[in-house]
Amino acid sequence: MSNVIHASKLTLAYDNGRKEIIKNANFSIRKGEFVFITGPSGSGKSTLLKALYGALKPTGGSLIIGGLDVATISTGKLQELRTHLGIIFQDYKLVNEWTVAKNVVLPLMIAGYSVDVQNTQAQRLLKHVKLSEHADKFPLELSGGEQQRVGVARALAKNPVVILADEPTGNLDDYSSNVIWDLMENACQQLETTVLVVTHKIPTIFSLPYRHFIIESKGVYEVH
Amino acid sequence: MKFIKNHLMFILPLMAILLGIEFYLVFDRTTNSYEKRLKEGYTMFVVTKTPMALADFQVLNSHIESVEAIDRKEVVGDIVKGISRNNTEKILKALPYFYNIGLNAYVKTSELESIKTDLKRENSIRKVETFGTAYSASYRLFTFIKFTLKLFIGFMGIVSIFLIIKQMEIWKYAHKRRMQVMEIFGAPLMLRSGILFKVAVIDAIVATLVTALIFLYLKFEWAAQSGIEIMVKNQENLFRMGDIGILLAAALVIVVVAVYSVVFSSSGVEE
Repeated sequence: MSNVIHASKLTLAYDNGRKEIIKNANFSIRKGEFVFITGPSGSGKSTLLKALYGALKPTGGSLIIGGLDVATISTGKLQELRTHLGIIFQDYKLVNEWTVAKNVVLPLMIAGYSVDVQNTQAQRLLKHVKLSEHADKFPLELSGGEQQRVGVARALAKNPVVILADEPTGNLDDYSSNVIWDLMENACQQLETTVLVVTHKIPTIFSLPYRHFIIESKGVYEVH
Repeated sequence: MKFIKNHLMFILPLMAILLGIEFYLVFDRTTNSYEKRLKEGYTMFVVTKTPMALADFQVLNSHIESVEAIDRKEVVGDIVKGISRNNTEKILKALPYFYNIGLNAYVKTSELESIKTDLKRENSIRKVETFGTAYSASYRLFTFIKFTLKLFIGFMGIVSIFLIIKQMEIWKYAHKRRMQVMEIFGAPLMLRSGILFKVAVIDAIVATLVTALIFLYLKFEWAAQSGIEIMVKNQENLFRMGDIGILLAAALVIVVVAVYSVVFSSSGVEE
């Protein structure tokens, strides 16, 4: 299978390159893989994820996603790349003044789909995450677990090539966490979406031998 | 209620700026017309040894716009009563030539003195009377009123700009998260700023229309019925339909600058 993500001698830093977080990292992730990236707090997990959706430009090496190098990508191409990504955040990053349905179809709205298509897709996605009855509510009227399911539905809205998840269950109880993991695992298995999860600890519900990378001493290493 | 408050917080300072701009336009037109009347009402008096034409005076100073020769017979009319025709002609022959000179602008007092100096350089000119004292008093009053109003308009503009900056901070607070989320999911700048832009453009149109209505009321109701001579005389200058275009353009420029300042300052994903 082809690589969807490929990092070569990747270096990520803040403060104009003075504070290096990741140095000379090499790794590849293939289409349809479910990958965990773990590491202690402050090791650079979220920094790596930020680089993957182009919010942080690498200071060295290359980071290729879907054939585009985020180190040298133009603003226009970066916007296009992001429309092929589904991103899930620990703090959900929902728009609180929008309804749940509108939040879910944000990627479709950006892609210019008609309102009819958006409405149909909102119903389908909310049914998928078991939130149909909450379509017209606002995010702050939902529990944390429900808000994260909205986040997952939004990430799945446009059948993304890659789902990037930053501590997606960090603020949730065990039951809600298991629901979220199920949704992401299903997306990977049924839609062949590549799922990359950054988390401090791999949940115990995962029985399948998924690939696992660890960030340690500025390096990214695969755990066998 | 919150919706109205949010709109008013941008509309009111924007209106203050537009009122300032419209006041300036009205003031400029009114003072121009007043200045024109002062200019037309002013002439300096010149006495020459030989007859001189307009071109002769214009060579001496470019501010000179018109020359009116004063009939010498009228000047000596009362003196020559009862004097023989022969003697009258002798008196007339001995008399210098008198001119009223009009200028092309309402010049500064110092400029008036400079014109006098230029004229006096010509040997043929015997006397120049500028009526400087009266002119200076009118000119000082006129410039003082002009300066005071400009200062007031400037002050109003500065206060309004601060209020708009305050509103921009509120916009930033209210729209930052939405714009960042949209940016993360690949929304282009126009789409991200679309909602804020739409709100601001509506506010700009409302502010322009309300400002125009205020001045239309001043023009057709208040000025006409005020009985104040200067208002009635300058009614036409109080508001012109073309001003709506100027006000709308100014409001839209402010909106574009304000909205894009908010959008660019909200760009980038939070650490």
